[in-house]
Amino acid sequence: MDIFLTILQGVPMTIGLTVSALALGALGGIPLALGRRSTIPGVSFVAVSLIEILRGIPPIVWLFIIYFGLGTALPMLDPLTSAVAGLGLISCAYMAEIYRGGLSAITRGQWEAGEALGMGRQSVLTFIIGPQVFRVSIPAAASYAIGLLKDSSVAYTIGVSEIVYFANDQSRQSSDALGPFFLSALVYVIMTIPCAWATRALDARLRMRVAR
Amino acid sequence: MNILTDWPAFLPGLLAGLGVSVQVALLSLLIGIPGGLLLAIGASSKTKLVRILIIGIVEIGRGTPALVVLQIFYFGLPASGLTLSSMGASVVALAATTAAYTSEILRGGLQAVPQGEVEAAGALGMSRRDTLRFIVIPQGFRVAIPSLIGFAILIFQATSLAYTVALPELLSQAYSIGSTTFNYLSVLVLAGLMYAAITIPASWLTSRAEKRLARHL
Amino acid sequence: MPPHIEPPRIQEKPLTKPFAIQLESVAKKYGDHTVLNNVSLSVREGEVTAMIGPSGAGKSTLLRCINFLERPDTGCITVEGNQIDAGTNFTAKDLAALRRNVGMVFQSFNLFPHLNVLRNVSIAQERVLGRSRKEADVRSMQLLERVGLADKAKQYPSRCSGGQQQRIAIARALALDPRVMLFDEPTSALDPEVGLEVLAVMKELAAEGMTMVVVTHEMQFARDVSDHLVVMANGTIIEEGDPEQVFTNPVQTRTREFLRAVLER
Repeated sequence: MDIFLTILQGVPMTIGLTVSALALGALGGIPLALGRRSTIPGVSFVAVSLIEILRGIPPIVWLFIIYFGLGTALPMLDPLTSAVAGLGLISCAYMAEIYRGGLSAITRGQWEAGEALGMGRQSVLTFIIGPQVFRVSIPAAASYAIGLLKDSSVAYTIGVSEIVYFANDQSRQSSDALGPFFLSALVYVIMTIPCAWATRALDARLRMRVAR
Repeated sequence: MNILTDWPAFLPGLLAGLGVSVQVALLSLLIGIPGGLLLAIGASSKTKLVRILIIGIVEIGRGTPALVVLQIFYFGLPASGLTLSSMGASVVALAATTAAYTSEILRGGLQAVPQGEVEAAGALGMSRRDTLRFIVIPQGFRVAIPSLIGFAILIFQATSLAYTVALPELLSQAYSIGSTTFNYLSVLVLAGLMYAAITIPASWLTSRAEKRLARHL
Repeated sequence: MPPHIEPPRIQEKPLTKPFAIQLESVAKKYGDHTVLNNVSLSVREGEVTAMIGPSGAGKSTLLRCINFLERPDTGCITVEGNQIDAGTNFTAKDLAALRRNVGMVFQSFNLFPHLNVLRNVSIAQERVLGRSRKEADVRSMQLLERVGLADKAKQYPSRCSGGQQQRIAIARALALDPRVMLFDEPTSALDPEVGLEVLAVMKELAAEGMTMVVVTHEMQFARDVSDHLVVMANGTIIEEGDPEQVFTNPVQTRTREFLRAVLER
């Protein structure tokens, strides 16, 4: 029981890390998604390359590049900042792809209807398309967030005191090497399964409310 | 740092590590995907108890980070008398994760096969087993291929977690080179690019597979 | 009104032929909704029975009960001597024995899209009848030739038109040498023109003496080809008999209304 309580101390850090990285991604994903659709020469190429590179390298490697690689030159990169930066960057790329999926789910008719009403492309995007894109993106973003919550466990490797960090610590200290890891698994399952169920329910409800 | 002289010097060590990473990924998929198929079929079992049990296993498998599964198999199991090598633990852990995730992917694929075809097979007198084997599984797999490739890319990335159990895969190699040369940034960036050199072309394959899929369906 | 004259062909047909299909008090409910309300129906060997009626009448459900694609809540079904009582437990073997004699053609064709046309027709022969691939393919080619599609054998179903797909589906069902064929609105998903090529194959089949039950909206087919006409509404058979008689002089008001609606459009 003591072990369990100790491991629970990592929960706020896990959640904080996930939420911060997700927030960075939700914002940073917007310019990347729009850049991808841009008709300005070069912009789309740069956006696509960034997305591919960010997604193509494993999270733990990004964390190492930032913490061990850049951290030697930039002392402000402590473990937590490095982890938020690394997971945040990756989230930008994934969120950009989620937004792209959302954008393509909105029918041409919505653009046409907006423009036929005399709205400029910019305001059609802001007032008509944008809100619908966010709405259709919620389920995908939610399942990405669940994945991110689990991925945030890699931050333990650079010394961020989240769930696995405590589990690892307890596993070394106590005579029971297996227990702490099982308990940490339990904590993740307890956090993710209700989220997954909620996402499915949400998905079913939102499907009905968007013009596709 | 001087990339021109550094990178060629790092390359042999990193390539050896990449070899280990690819090996772990392939073995995990080879063991994990058939496991996922069994779970997917079991999840639609007519017996309620079997169904609940399998869905439970899958949910727990998907809810637990691969990193934790890996720690359980490597650090945890010796306590119960079963000691796995870092290679063994990595393959078993990632195969288990693969089975849990691909079972959901494959279940989606199997369900995508129209009910009418299952009825047609039934009306033709084909047994449930034959219907599954000749009609549902071949099509379900085909539908699932893009997602399976996407998942294979993630598993290849996840082999980097085996760094934590001292498996000499790509990231471990890069880190140990970094710790002897103090040139972390250079070697880690090269390692990152080597991961990307495999995952990015593979993700193009996914979109090609999606387009090909449109045929015959 | 001139006195009604019985068409001569009905008198030529001996009514002593044995029953191929017998449904006794078949009932089915979905929740509170009664789809089939104790329906009984008999079909004689070599007879073509057409089932017509408004949508939601239960025609397709009744047809699907014959080979247990739909399991009735109660009722007894006998096909070519194989009897299954829906109220009791029956084995997969009983079901296989019953289905062994029944071929079925669906509204949506339900060909297997990942197999080419030849494999579509051959696979059940191999798995169900234990024919070798070679034997099955020979038989399949005969049937494809018969429905006029031998040249499509190596194509995939998606490359074939709807009418062609439905003819392939008929060949697929015939390949198992069924003694009874069920057709569930076989032309409803097709353009009228294309539907004709399917109807032509069905007419030929009827002329060869195949026992057929056809759920259809093709009134012309029901009138010209069938030997027995069944009119359903609200989960029951409201009228049945000689097609010409039912069409020209229906007994039930409901039948008259339905026929007026479909014939006078």
